[in-house]
Amino acid sequence: MKKRYAKKLMSATLASVMVMSMLSGCGSADSKSTEATEQTAEASTDEDIEIWSTNNGYLPVEAGSELYNFYKDIIGVGIVQPYVEWNGGETYLEQLNLRIAAGDMPDMFTPWNGVETELIANGALLDLTDLLPEKAPHLWESIPEDVWDAVKANDPTGQNRIYVIPQVMSYGRNGAMIRKDWLDNLGLDMPTTQEEFVEVLRAFKNDDPNGNGVADEIPTGGRAEARWMGQLFGQYGIAMWEGYPQWDIYDGELTYSAVTKNMRDCLEWMSGLYAEGLLDPETFLNDKAAWDGKINSGVVGIWEHLPQECYNYAENIYNGTGVKPEIAVLPAISAPGYEGYYTMHQMNGGGFVVANTDDEAKIDRIMKVLDAYGNQDLWMKFYNGVEGMHSEVVNGESVRLPDDPSTQQNLVLVPFNQIATIDFQVNVLSSQLTDDRAWAVSQAIENVQENQKYVKSFAGDGMPESITSDYPDIANRTLYIEYATKIITGEYSIDKFDEFVEKWYATGGTEVTEKAREWYAKKAQ
Amino acid sequence: MKAYTKKSHVRESANDKIFGFVISLILILFAVITAIPLISEAAVSLSSKTASQMNQINLLPVGFTFDSWKYLFMKGKIWTPFLISVSSTVLGVAIALLLNVLMAYPLSKTEFRPSKYIMLFVVFTMVFAAPKVPYFLTLRSYGLYNNYWVLILPHIMTAYNLIIVRTFFKQFPRELEEAAMIDGCGKFRILLQIVLPASKAVLATVGLFYGVTMWNQYEHPMMFIQNMNLFPLQMKIRTIVDGGGELQAVTMAQTANYTSATLSAAAVVFAILPVLVAYPWIQKYFAKGAMLGSVKG
Repeated sequence: MKKRYAKKLMSATLASVMVMSMLSGCGSADSKSTEATEQTAEASTDEDIEIWSTNNGYLPVEAGSELYNFYKDIIGVGIVQPYVEWNGGETYLEQLNLRIAAGDMPDMFTPWNGVETELIANGALLDLTDLLPEKAPHLWESIPEDVWDAVKANDPTGQNRIYVIPQVMSYGRNGAMIRKDWLDNLGLDMPTTQEEFVEVLRAFKNDDPNGNGVADEIPTGGRAEARWMGQLFGQYGIAMWEGYPQWDIYDGELTYSAVTKNMRDCLEWMSGLYAEGLLDPETFLNDKAAWDGKINSGVVGIWEHLPQECYNYAENIYNGTGVKPEIAVLPAISAPGYEGYYTMHQMNGGGFVVANTDDEAKIDRIMKVLDAYGNQDLWMKFYNGVEGMHSEVVNGESVRLPDDPSTQQNLVLVPFNQIATIDFQVNVLSSQLTDDRAWAVSQAIENVQENQKYVKSFAGDGMPESITSDYPDIANRTLYIEYATKIITGEYSIDKFDEFVEKWYATGGTEVTEKAREWYAKKAQ
Repeated sequence: MKAYTKKSHVRESANDKIFGFVISLILILFAVITAIPLISEAAVSLSSKTASQMNQINLLPVGFTFDSWKYLFMKGKIWTPFLISVSSTVLGVAIALLLNVLMAYPLSKTEFRPSKYIMLFVVFTMVFAAPKVPYFLTLRSYGLYNNYWVLILPHIMTAYNLIIVRTFFKQFPRELEEAAMIDGCGKFRILLQIVLPASKAVLATVGLFYGVTMWNQYEHPMMFIQNMNLFPLQMKIRTIVDGGGELQAVTMAQTANYTSATLSAAAVVFAILPVLVAYPWIQKYFAKGAMLGSVKG
């Protein structure tokens, strides 16, 4: 009896699997055909431009709302944006894909994780090459020509066309900072060599630089996955962006910086620092809140972050401990035999892409938006947003109100972040040089400029994500994290590094390197 | 613990006692481990800005303040989402129970011939789920995009719960129903007046399952609701918890005594509270019902 029942069940299951696969086959065919029809229908009716971009919890922009009117007044085009959760890009991408599948792509959106590659190949995105110089001259001028060239080189169809408005940072944003007041307390000079640097770390650990009588100081450290440790990686000339190894020229060829001799030497040195207690023993457990918490508690001596934001740390340290710290940029230090620097990441992926359409009027509206986006005269306006919601007038000048996602609409156009220049940053910071904040904010202004002396770009800057997209473990640097953290903490000896390099090349590294070098050769032409 | 004090009829050996002790200890340990994150979140929500920035809070609030809660209640715009969640959960559970009972009852009767085949379809949905994109397109074409009913309709019938109810009905003594029938009861009256009053346990269990699903639902609203005015509580909470990146705007000094961390802690605790409050009331049915329904499932 039982056996027969089981047989029946099995055949039923098999049959259902077949039905299922047939159904899903039909489903996907269907969705493609609706895509085509709906898209054209949508384009001819819609007056407003729907733009999707990063939103960390702020209110959506609906037609007729305050921010909508704000953009319409300035640009002459209505901009709407539904609430799309960002969640590190993950949820955003999922929702974007659903909308694309439904044939209802937003008119303009921030591409994420290489989503644009396939869309370009399918002709779903608008070719901007000829439109930009003609209809969005401000944006065309705001982005340097060599960056446009790099964008063209990244065209997945190989036609050297522009589909993506890149995110550009024309200055070195990240760098290492040091508690200058600690140096002064101990009568030490700013370190300039690696030897001096280590001496300073030792002094920070042992000589109670914060003067509270407790050995609570953490000379330096970083966050989990060996992130935000550029103060150490930089000394060995390693191209490293916020914990992500980058591609640069090593031994005359474009190479992943994690598998170089530079990295090997650096990790060996770092494991020594770790063993001596000069690195935060909890480094690889620190999330952002934990590591920032330590800096804000006034117990960290040297760390990597954004010098332009160091006033936040300064004020938090002051609020928490009563000490007004002096934070300075740590000059880039060179390890023996290497040239040290802080990594400057000029090309930061895509800012916007535009959905393909034949509707001339719509294209004109979109180009108007893009032109305004690139118009530096409007940036301050965009920055300050709606008066009363995003900003307030103090002494005749607009000043941004503290961030409040519950009452503020999401600023859709943030060119000052996506085509970032140091001048703009200094300008905004200068607006906060009020009596009570000047001591902290002036440090940020000074540091962001000082940092430029020590930053250097790298050869692999602007490499498209599609090069590693077939190898998620390489893109997520899984293997690197495991070996790097274990070597630093002493769980692995440095000899294991060679095993890592071998494994990395064996699990896709060879292919990725080949692709990357191909890309670089093309870019260099 | 009662067993030890009351002197149970079977004498416990020393081994049993040690065993009981160890088990209790392990369970207490688990209970503590489960409670710690919640306590710590509650502590963060009641702490000051400085303490949060310095990451000093463990299990007790540091720099005690209600500012995060005040902000959440007065300015956080959580009440509409709260009402949406409460109403969709209450309405959803009511509809779900109605449909499940009406479907499970006939399926539990052997004289209902097609029952076997219908059950096959039901089980089918347990094994295979629609891929995301076709599912999205289908529900969207039903008009369930940016629609309140997407919070309810996709959840009112799950195979697992239906089977629990059906199994429970199967075990219901036939003699009772037959006696009622002899006394002149119709089929609906038997269901309403004889079967259901004796099925509170299973209804509470299944109701709780549905209720928790609907209260906690996040994926459906995320896929189908982009209009913030229709956000259920969990989606609203996400907007508060979804912290920013490294790059921050230069703004005037923040004077309020909260940070995004304390706010999100308050929001999280707020979202858990209703379930925490409701659970003890249903728990006695829950433990019993889950066992009852699933023995033969």
